[in-house]
Amino acid sequence: MTDRGDWTRVFRLGVGARHIERDVDQELEFHIAMRTQKLVGAGFAPDAARAKALERFGDIHTIRDSCLDIDHQRERAMRRTNYLSNARQDISYALRTMRQNVGFTAVVLLTLALGIGANTSTFTLIDAIVLRTLSVPHPEQLVTIGDPARTGGMSDGSVRNDIVSYPLFADVRDQSKSLRGIYAAGRTSRLDLLAESGQKEPEHPRGRFVSASFFSVLQVPAALGRTFSPDEDKVPGGAPVVVISYAYWLTRFSGDRSAVGRSITINGVPLTIVGVSASTFKGDIVGQRTEIWIPIMEQQALMPNSPWLDDRSKSWLQMMGRLAPGVTLAQAKSEITAIENRSMLDHVAAGERAGTEQNIREGPLRVESGARGFSYYRKLLAAPLFILMAAVSVVLLIVCANLANLMLARASARGREMSVRMALGANRLRLVQQLLTESLIMAIAGGALGVLLAIWGSSALIALTGGAEIAAHLDARVLAFTALLSLATAILFGLVPALRATRVELSEALRAQGRGVSNAERGTGKFGLGKMLVVAQVALSVLLLVGTGMLVRSMQRLQRTDIGAARDQLVLVEVDAQRSGYKDARLSSLVADLISRATQTPGVTAASVSENGIFSGSESATSIRVEGFTPRTDDDSAIAYDDVGPAYFSTIGAHLAQGRDLDARDNQAGAKVAVMNATAARYFFPHGSAMGSHITMDSATYEIVGVVSDVEGGDLRAKPVRRVYLPMAQRRSPPGQFYLEVRTSGNPAHLSESLRHALSAADPSLALRVKTLSELVDDSIAQDKLVSRVVSVFGILALALAALGLYGVMTYATTRRTSEFGLRMALGAEPADVMRLVLGEAMLLVVGGVIVGMPAALGAMQLVKNQLYEIGLLDWPSLALALIVLSASAALAGYLPARRAARVGPLVALRES
Amino acid sequence: MADIDVGLMRGTLDLLILKALTWGPRHGYGVVEWIEHATGAALQIGEGTLYPALHRLEAQGWIEAEWGLSENNRHAKFYKLTAAGRGQLRTGLSAWQQFVESASRALHATASPRTA
Repeated sequence: MTDRGDWTRVFRLGVGARHIERDVDQELEFHIAMRTQKLVGAGFAPDAARAKALERFGDIHTIRDSCLDIDHQRERAMRRTNYLSNARQDISYALRTMRQNVGFTAVVLLTLALGIGANTSTFTLIDAIVLRTLSVPHPEQLVTIGDPARTGGMSDGSVRNDIVSYPLFADVRDQSKSLRGIYAAGRTSRLDLLAESGQKEPEHPRGRFVSASFFSVLQVPAALGRTFSPDEDKVPGGAPVVVISYAYWLTRFSGDRSAVGRSITINGVPLTIVGVSASTFKGDIVGQRTEIWIPIMEQQALMPNSPWLDDRSKSWLQMMGRLAPGVTLAQAKSEITAIENRSMLDHVAAGERAGTEQNIREGPLRVESGARGFSYYRKLLAAPLFILMAAVSVVLLIVCANLANLMLARASARGREMSVRMALGANRLRLVQQLLTESLIMAIAGGALGVLLAIWGSSALIALTGGAEIAAHLDARVLAFTALLSLATAILFGLVPALRATRVELSEALRAQGRGVSNAERGTGKFGLGKMLVVAQVALSVLLLVGTGMLVRSMQRLQRTDIGAARDQLVLVEVDAQRSGYKDARLSSLVADLISRATQTPGVTAASVSENGIFSGSESATSIRVEGFTPRTDDDSAIAYDDVGPAYFSTIGAHLAQGRDLDARDNQAGAKVAVMNATAARYFFPHGSAMGSHITMDSATYEIVGVVSDVEGGDLRAKPVRRVYLPMAQRRSPPGQFYLEVRTSGNPAHLSESLRHALSAADPSLALRVKTLSELVDDSIAQDKLVSRVVSVFGILALALAALGLYGVMTYATTRRTSEFGLRMALGAEPADVMRLVLGEAMLLVVGGVIVGMPAALGAMQLVKNQLYEIGLLDWPSLALALIVLSASAALAGYLPARRAARVGPLVALRES
Repeated sequence: MADIDVGLMRGTLDLLILKALTWGPRHGYGVVEWIEHATGAALQIGEGTLYPALHRLEAQGWIEAEWGLSENNRHAKFYKLTAAGRGQLRTGLSAWQQFVESASRALHATASPRTA
């Protein structure tokens, strides 16, 4: 048996697992050896003695195992109490330290709260719009059919599959075997709701037409009353019932149970509220709230002048289904694609067959997971949110760098304390644990504060999205994200300083002359960690500043871009005369009446009309035959068109490059004429002029009498499309829904009210929506505004943090070198020289950061190229601005420490050593 | 003796071990020797069964262990009583005594006591 040498009583702390086994073996072996020895003394041979000793001992294996079990358990219990008492000690120590340095702690907590809070706010938005699934049972079984982003779309004309007609939906519903259930949903026009008897002014809730299986497919129960039953799908007009949402029930009906069963009228049609949906159900669209669900069968009753139910050319529905058990998404997709294609081709007119086949080829049906429902805003905000998340992560990194520097400085000040403790036997791991606990507590506290900040922050962000209706919940996912982030942050800014602080050379530390830790260790030497951190911070700030500059300039370009019309002097009025039953002659005289009323309103210089309004979300397209132009594919003859009234172009301020404006003589009696836009003219007539040529569309031929400079249709970023304008008076029948364009002399916003007043006087039942063109254009770039504004805020924040970091490091560095400066000045240096020295060092750090940061910034901008409008990657103004701002901040941050260094009296300085 | 209830055995064994250590630290083998000597070698359980008992008593805090050198300069684990162990021995002893007395009374009864 091995002897342990000269140790008589070795004090053993902590027992390891191998230790335990060794000890037990040793103990039992000792016993056996003693018994053997005794037996040998009694006359046994050594082997026999040992065998007998083992026999007397008993079952050595079982006994050994019992002893090991007992000892291991004991060891585990001891270790557990150790951990707990260590942790408790660390926490109370950390709290005490934090309380002792209130200022330091406050700065750290505030910085953390800002960094983590900004991240949580952004993540809340991402969670609400992109990640969250519908609050229905088993959302993973749901599939959307078509384009999930077209929640309010309506298209009249050729058959499509991104939104579908009711007959097409019925075909899929009746023939599909791969889906356990399927429903269709589509937008309503403006709803005029009268809920109380004697109510005069109608309200306009958000509604949605849904087929009867809506609630059963989504498996949403009623909180009160009932939801729709299959009866609601049977007869058009035979389902005069509605279901309201729980939230709408609370706000509009004050949670009154008598709301169920109440009779209401919508658009003059009597309906009954039969139920309230479950409180957890928020609709099938993310980012838009729905207050009332109406059976599709009531569509024609509520919109009597737009019969869509039997019309295969009216596409307006989205579809959602639940997969049958055992069916995969791919199987469902192929089955439904086959059904839809067959249905589309079966019912198509002979002439359009080829076109439909091409549409099918070019636009395959989208069948995707419906777990996250339909969402217009998800598609719109996906890229902006990604940019924001990246930017805010950069801010957090800067925060961590700042805090790491602070912790480094503080930890090195305690360098001597640490080395003494380690010399006395303290475990390095223990000390690192202690320091890390402090970082962790601060990170958790900062995270908690950050969550509070995020409550405000996420609401602010949502307000900037331009209309998304989301409740920013701090749900479990968001809180988990914040907790994880706090943890990661704590490690990022706490680990390295903790390791640094405990990695000290004993001799150096205890040297009387020395200041505890060498400069290099402390991080203020030439290439110290602290300085590297500042360089990193500057680099990250450059990234954000360049990004900010480019995005802001891009935003400015967007806002000032020439749309080809008088952006700041136009009001657009959307008129729905179809609801009120206007047709043909009555409609034409209404249009004329409205135009004259508009022109007579004070402040208005001109008015005209068009079927599609600029930036109003509607578009018409068709294919035309152009004299002298041979199309190679069907696409070549596609063109957007609009029916417009007299003096349209002069009213909207468009520039006629050739020819004349359309006017009053272009009516049924006159020759058929048209005006082309410049893009179409260049395309169809590349070698000559479009003037005088003829085009044929919808079996009528028109002569081109003018070419107008492009007017932007609805998307500032899109390339201009080919467009042709025809006189509304020469079309077969005027459109039931149209837009009035009203040119004002002054600020159009001031005239909205008087204009609406004047127009309603023609017929109070008309549905009117008045908006200025600049409002509409701004709405279309709301997301860009969101990104540029928020990134600017982050940019400024980053700059402030980096400047603070630079200031901190420079202050610390110069304080360490006070004696050196004093010596320099005693030997004849001017204060200005010392200042230059310090400032020079500061600027060197900044230059380093810029060298690292610039390429990174350009690389990052490459990724978001699509967001930038007419700004190249080497946008000198942005780059220059970023550099100037950064240098100025750095100079300021370095100036104070520099001045302090220069002010040191040589005697004071020398005395300090 | 091999038929005696293990629970009873264990309790008694614990007391014997504690008692063995009243006069100072001993290693495991020493405890076995003392028990054999004091009980007149009547307990013929396997000697090794002492060791789980020793470890258990150590885990419970009645005894504590230290490694040291035995009489013949071997490395051995010595056990000694803690203050709590002394107390445990006292209470355990009187409890054991009471049990033995009342069990003895019952086992030596000549007539069945009147049952109500």
